[in-house]
This record gives sequence, C-alpha cells and structure tokens, in this order.
Amino acid sequence: MADLIIETKDLVKKFGKTTAVNGLSLEVPAGSIYGFVGPNGAGKTTTMRMLTTLTRPTSGQAWIAGHSVTTEPRAVRRAIGYMPDEFGVYDDMRVWEYLDFFAACYDIPESERRRLIEDLLELVDLTHRRDDMVDKLSRGMKQRLSLARTLAHDPSVLILDEPASGLDPRARVEIRELLVELSRMGKTIFFSTHILADVSEICTHIGIVEAGQMIAQGSMEAMRAQLQPHREITVTVRDQESVAAVKEAVAGAPDVVGVSELEPKSGRYRVRIDFSGDDNGVADLNARITRANIAILGFAEETKDLEAMFMRVTKGIVS
Amino acid sequence: MTTNAQALEMLSPRERLLEQAGSILQRGAIANAIVAGVALLLGLIAGLRIIPFSLLQNVLLIRYGGAADSALAIVILMALLDLSLLLVVMVGVLAREIWALPALLLLTLVNIAGLIGLGFTPALVTIIFAGWALIALRADTQAFRVNPVMMKELRGRMRGVRAFAVMTVYLGLMSGFTTLLYLVYSSFTRSSGSAAAGEIGRVLFLGVVGIELLLIVFIAPAFTAGAITGERERQTYDLLQTTLLATPSFVTGKLESALGYILLLLLSGIPLESIAFLFGGVSELELLLSFIILLVTAIALGTVGIYFSAAMPRTLMASVRAYSVILGAMFVVPVVLSAILNIVNDLLFSKLGGASPLLETIVRYLDLLLTSVNPIAAGLSAQDLLINQRVLGFWAYTLHSNGSTIPLVSPWVTFTIIYLTISAVLIVLTIRSTRQTSVE
Repeated sequence: MADLIIETKDLVKKFGKTTAVNGLSLEVPAGSIYGFVGPNGAGKTTTMRMLTTLTRPTSGQAWIAGHSVTTEPRAVRRAIGYMPDEFGVYDDMRVWEYLDFFAACYDIPESERRRLIEDLLELVDLTHRRDDMVDKLSRGMKQRLSLARTLAHDPSVLILDEPASGLDPRARVEIRELLVELSRMGKTIFFSTHILADVSEICTHIGIVEAGQMIAQGSMEAMRAQLQPHREITVTVRDQESVAAVKEAVAGAPDVVGVSELEPKSGRYRVRIDFSGDDNGVADLNARITRANIAILGFAEETKDLEAMFMRVTKGIVS
Repeated sequence: MTTNAQALEMLSPRERLLEQAGSILQRGAIANAIVAGVALLLGLIAGLRIIPFSLLQNVLLIRYGGAADSALAIVILMALLDLSLLLVVMVGVLAREIWALPALLLLTLVNIAGLIGLGFTPALVTIIFAGWALIALRADTQAFRVNPVMMKELRGRMRGVRAFAVMTVYLGLMSGFTTLLYLVYSSFTRSSGSAAAGEIGRVLFLGVVGIELLLIVFIAPAFTAGAITGERERQTYDLLQTTLLATPSFVTGKLESALGYILLLLLSGIPLESIAFLFGGVSELELLLSFIILLVTAIALGTVGIYFSAAMPRTLMASVRAYSVILGAMFVVPVVLSAILNIVNDLLFSKLGGASPLLETIVRYLDLLLTSVNPIAAGLSAQDLLINQRVLGFWAYTLHSNGSTIPLVSPWVTFTIIYLTISAVLIVLTIRSTRQTSVE
C-alpha cells in the first residue's frame, strides 16, 4: 500500500451506552481524494471529530501524517485543515477579517497575512467579496470561504464534513472543482458525503461505513471490480418464444454465469445474462444470438452506477 | 487534552519555552506566598513578645523609618502584591500577550527599586524568578503578539453605530443623573440653610462613581458569561479548537476585549466625575483611587463571568451562576458578616466593658478584611481615611483597650490584592476547565 496519511486501527467511540463508532479501521493514502460514504448516523462525523482531536476515542488508535491524535494533538492540528458540517458564523466580521483571524490563530505573522489572504481569496474566487460581511454571503460562498480558511496554514490533509450538503447544483460543482484543484496542489482530501454522484465524479478512493464499521474501502477501480464481479447484459426481444430461444442460444457459451428472465417492460420481453468474460466474449454472445435467427430489439450491457453498488453493500446490515 | 497527554506530546520550541517561563513565574508566586506566610507567622511570634519586631524589621525591611510592627505589615502586603502580579504576568506569558514582557520587566524593576529604596529583602524572591523568566523568554521575543481573539472581538464590538450608541446613551444617562443629583441636593441644602460647595462636589462624585460601580456589577459578567458558551452555541468553538490557538490566549483574549470596552466606558466617565472639581471637596487622589477600585472590580467580575462560561454548557446557566455569586459576594455576604461583626463588637466593647487588646486587634483585622472584600465598603472607608486622617496607605490604629497601636492599611490596598489574586486564580482555573471540557 502507498504511504498512508490517515490511518486508524479499531477505532471505537461510545457515548454512554450507544456505540457511535465500532472498531473502524481507515486507510487513506497520501494524495488521494477519499470519499467517506455512509447513511446518516453511521458514525462519519464522530470519526472525523476523533481525527481532528475534538473527541477522544474510547479505544483504538488513529494517526495523521504519522502523529497520534491522542498523544500529539498539536502536531495533528498543524497537519490538518478541518471544515465541520456547520459553517461557524461570526456575525460582525468581514470576509478578509475572518481569514485574518484564523491565520492569526495559526500563528502566521501579521506581515505575511495580507498576501496570504489575497492568495486564498483568489483561489476560492472570492476576491470581489473581500470587504463584505460574512453573513451576507450565499451558502456556496460561505462554504468556499470556509475551505479557504482550512488552507490558511498550508496543511497536508483536509478533513471536510459534508462539504457539499445543502448547496445548489452550481455551487456543488464549484466546490467539486475546487477539491480537484486542491488535490492537484498535493493535498490529501478526506471528505464525508452522502451524495454518491460527487464520489464517483472526483474520488480516487472510497470507504463505505455503516453502523460504525467500515464495510468496504479501497481505490475506486478496485471497489468497482470487487463489488461488480459480473457484467450484466440485457437482451430485449419481441415475444415469449424468442426468450426461450435466447436462453437456449447462450446456454452453451463460455463464461456465462447465469441466464434469467426479467419482467416484461412495456410489452417487450427481456433476458438478463450474467457474464464474466471479456469484450471478445460479449461480441461472441451477440454473434450466437444473431446466428440463432432471433428478432432482437436490443442488446446492451448495464453499467452499474455507484448508487447500486452502495445499495448492494449496505443492504442487509441496516435491518 | 489531559495533562498526561500533554506531557507526552512533542511541543514546538516556542511552546516549550512559554510553558517553562510560565512555570517559573508560578513558582515565584508560590515562593511569595511562602514569604508572606512566614512573615505572618513571625509577626504572631513577635506579637507574643518572643522575638522583637525590630529584629524582623532589620531583616525584612531594612531602610523603613516607621514603626517596626507596621514594617512587618508592609512586608506581608508587598509579598502578597508580588504574588498576585506574578500570577497575572504568568497568565500573560502563557497567552503570549504583547504586554507580558514589559509588565515582567516593570515588575522586576519596581522590586529592585523596593530592594534598594526600602531595603525590602523579600523582593529578591520576585527579582530572581521574574529575572529568570525574562532571561528564558529573551530567546523568543517574537512569541509575543496582539491577541487575535481580542482583535476579532473588538473589531466586532466597535463596528457600526452600536458601540457609539451605547456610549452615547450611557453618558446621557450619567449626565442626567448627575444633573438630577445636583438639583435635588442644592434645593435640599438651600432649604436647610447650609450650602457648602465642597459637600455638593463630594455628593456628585460619589453618585457618579456609585452608578459606575453598579454598572460594572451588571455589565462585566454579562460581557464575559457568554464568551465561551457563546462560541459553543454558535458552533465556532470546534473551529477554534482545531487551530493552534492556545487556551490561555483564547480565555485572555475574551477577557481583554470585554474589559477593553468597560475601560472605555470608565474613561469616558472621568470628565463627568471631574465636575466635582468645580465645587471642590474632591481631590485628584480620590479620583485615582475610585478609578483603581472600579477597574479592579471590573477585572474580578469579568473573570467570574468567564469562569462560569467555561464551566457551564449554556450562556443562560453561566449568567445565572455568575450573577448569583457576584450579587451574593457583593451585597449579601458583607451585610451578613458586618451584622455579625457588629454584634461581636457590641458584646466586646459595651456589654463586657473593655475587651482584651488581643481580641480588639483580631476584631480590627477582621473588620479590615471584611471591608476589603467589597468594593463599596473598601472605597468608602478608603475615602473616609483619606479625608479625615490623611491616610492613603499604612497607618497606626490606637487600641481603646490599652492605648497601644497596631498597624493598619487603607482597605483599597488589601482590596486590590485580594481581587487581583482571585482574578488570576480564576483565570488559571478557567483555562484548566476549558481544556478539560473541550475534549469529551
């Protein structure tokens, strides 16, 4: 495995009798964009609060950039930029003052702050709102400002809790682009979300968490391969006889794992073929059906999206 | 963040240096407490005629010309003053306040002056510890800076028309009250026939200072009780915690911004107090004394507010606790205690017909202590001493029982020491409890 910048081992957090995080083990490689996905109440925020030294784990260990969150909190704080799901509103503050205050909290000398603020505002495209009051900004702008704040001390890891929640589509795309940009600058980005479209769009790695436990994690390609062992091909035909003919035609083909009939949809009959072969095999299947002289309306491979993947992994554990 | 975890952590060189200097100053404060305690013990022994006071004076306060027993009282109070100032500077150093280094230097110089001028040998304790801390901190003078939290709070507080409006309303009300007081009092004296201008001046002065004190009692805790709970409620506290902002900086910054505004209100009230000069009867010294007492009260009450703000989860609860404690300490406790003291006084001096000198001494000192825990009592009795006996600091009180004298001090001195020490201790406790509650 590549260099891990965030690592946890059997992390447990209990609040009284309820267990929020139950033996979670995370592995986030340096330089990745890691999507931390799970249903509400799965323990995502609690995990992030432990990683950011805001909450002490009941048991287990966590390291960020090689520093333990329990014994070296200050070193961890130096390495991370954290954005909670709630935007901390200080009323009566201008945009530049907001950044100036947090830069000062990170011990950046006053002489360097002015340039830093200009650079940060330019990065998140808020230069024109420099002197506006923070609470007059739109939600998307606040989120971008918040992101600029986390960058004040040039951390190597960004820990973002639901960075895109509650944003309109345009603002969401802007945040997404910003994250990709930051990743290009060499930052590791670890963010929680339940918007799977964001994950499939930008993430290099994904971890799926449920009931305080990690169910699956790894690089996007590995996860896709792991969660989707078969290709699914749907053949659409005109009538019931053709269904039987298709079944017969592909029955003897190599790498066919299963053939089943689907419910007819708007008068059309469909057959699903679970297939584990490569592209040549798919072409061969197509040829077989054509040779059998069946009237074909459609021959298509279903690409499973992340949502279906997510549903498949998480199903069964909820109930 | 437990102390254990902190001990394990690799601190940056700057953080380690500040911790080191802080603990040096803390040890200095403890050493001063020991000095004061030992001096008090020696005083008791001398009081029993086992060793002479003059011997103590020759060791502890060599060049003092006054009575030997009051020399000992001076030594005790100066050690206590050093104690409270060292604690205040310690908090300043830990919070990396820009004023901390000059204050430390000033404290050292004043103690050197005390050593040379008065022969106050216990000053050596403070000189050694403060000097040691100064030498340690010399390595990184860049560590000290304007507190970012104070900066942020003051920017917010002073913006727009609100701060201006509050001050205008405040001064308007104060002026109105002063005018009213003048009209009522002058018409009263006109009808009764005696119209001493000095009397009017004094009444106006006391009226304004009294209102200001009342204002501080209500405003100071209100400004600070929401300081930490407010950050929690607005969910900005998490943000601050993940930055490198140290808890002492956070707590002191909050306190400074609240006190900064109160200081502004007090300063803007001075011209109003000075109207008394037109009528006479009030000296500049009284003005200065009143200002010190008001400021020290504001500091102490502000710290009470911030202490409860750190200890309580909600602003409302913090405010309720802070006001209960303050109103109790300001009004209820003094009334109860002075009633008890009065009864004791009566029993001792009238009913039993002349008490022993020892008992009378104890009652006198208890009386002083009691006066010193309340700003109103301390202020009034300091003013009384100033006007009637021309006493600003130490004086000799003649016992009724046997005509011998005991050393006493004007209550504003003891008041300042007690309140500053309480404030410093409360800040240290606040920092501790903020650290504890921050990680659940």
